[in-house]
Amino acid sequence: MSFLRSAISEVVGLFVGDWFQSVTSVVILAVGWLALTRFHVAGLAFAMALALAVQLVLATSAEARRKKA
Amino acid sequence: MGAQLLTFGAAFLGSAVESVEALTIVLAVGLTRGWRSPLLGTLSALVLLGLLVAIFGQLIVTRVPELTLKLIIGTLIVLFGLRWLHKAVLRSAGVVALHDENRAYANTLEELRDAREQHDWIGFVLALKGVFLEGLEVVFIVIAVGGTSGGMGVAVAGGLLAMVVVAGAGVVVRKPLAQVPENTLKYAVGIILTSVGTFWAAEGMGAQWPLDFVSILGLAVLYFVATRIAIMLIRRPALA
Repeated sequence: MSFLRSAISEVVGLFVGDWFQSVTSVVILAVGWLALTRFHVAGLAFAMALALAVQLVLATSAEARRKKA
Repeated sequence: MGAQLLTFGAAFLGSAVESVEALTIVLAVGLTRGWRSPLLGTLSALVLLGLLVAIFGQLIVTRVPELTLKLIIGTLIVLFGLRWLHKAVLRSAGVVALHDENRAYANTLEELRDAREQHDWIGFVLALKGVFLEGLEVVFIVIAVGGTSGGMGVAVAGGLLAMVVVAGAGVVVRKPLAQVPENTLKYAVGIILTSVGTFWAAEGMGAQWPLDFVSILGLAVLYFVATRIAIMLIRRPALA
């Protein structure tokens, strides 16, 4: 049973370290998807990548601040 | 050719990192309780992991339409890669201590010391659990990069080769591979996976990348710069 629990938490943990960051990433991808299907502009994919990169910087900085506090 | 190399590289590096962690557990169990049970546990875990790759790999390749596959797997790879990058940034900046194989080895020994008088299935279960749980990440990387790029064989080969190399090093050294720069490897794999995941997820959404596969290099540069900025912003002296 504890093995099963460990396996399940390991599978969830593959994709989620910080729930807020993961949800933000999914929201960015969902907005990117909506925009891409509506506007078909090549630059939108790069904008989506840029948004993901910016949220990585913000999320890691925020966690570092939390750990310092 | 470039796509195949990237697939092989991601599977090899990702598998190498996790294999080093699994090796630490197996070594600790084997050197304290004898090799029979931990080797059986390791073998059982490898069979289970192989089954997962075979079943899910086959299902994904044969049942899921290409664009849907790229969208779903791309999104999962982005989340997976960002998690590794997040951890790598915090470790590089000194906010979180680096993963220490020697400490992990000592912890496993401590765990075993309390269980010395019990039956040998503990050695079996510890090795099985350690190898299986560490191997789940390898399974995901192999299925994701192999299934989406159409190079499942190349991804499996990359993952297997890394396991063989790490196991071989373990047999020779007979102690934890503490000198392997795990954080640097995770950092590199995190950049590769996040870039590839973004590329495939956007393709699954219907985007056309300029220069096709070469755009992944641009994405890698973008994520690398972002992580350097993050490290610069939060850097403080490394934790003891």
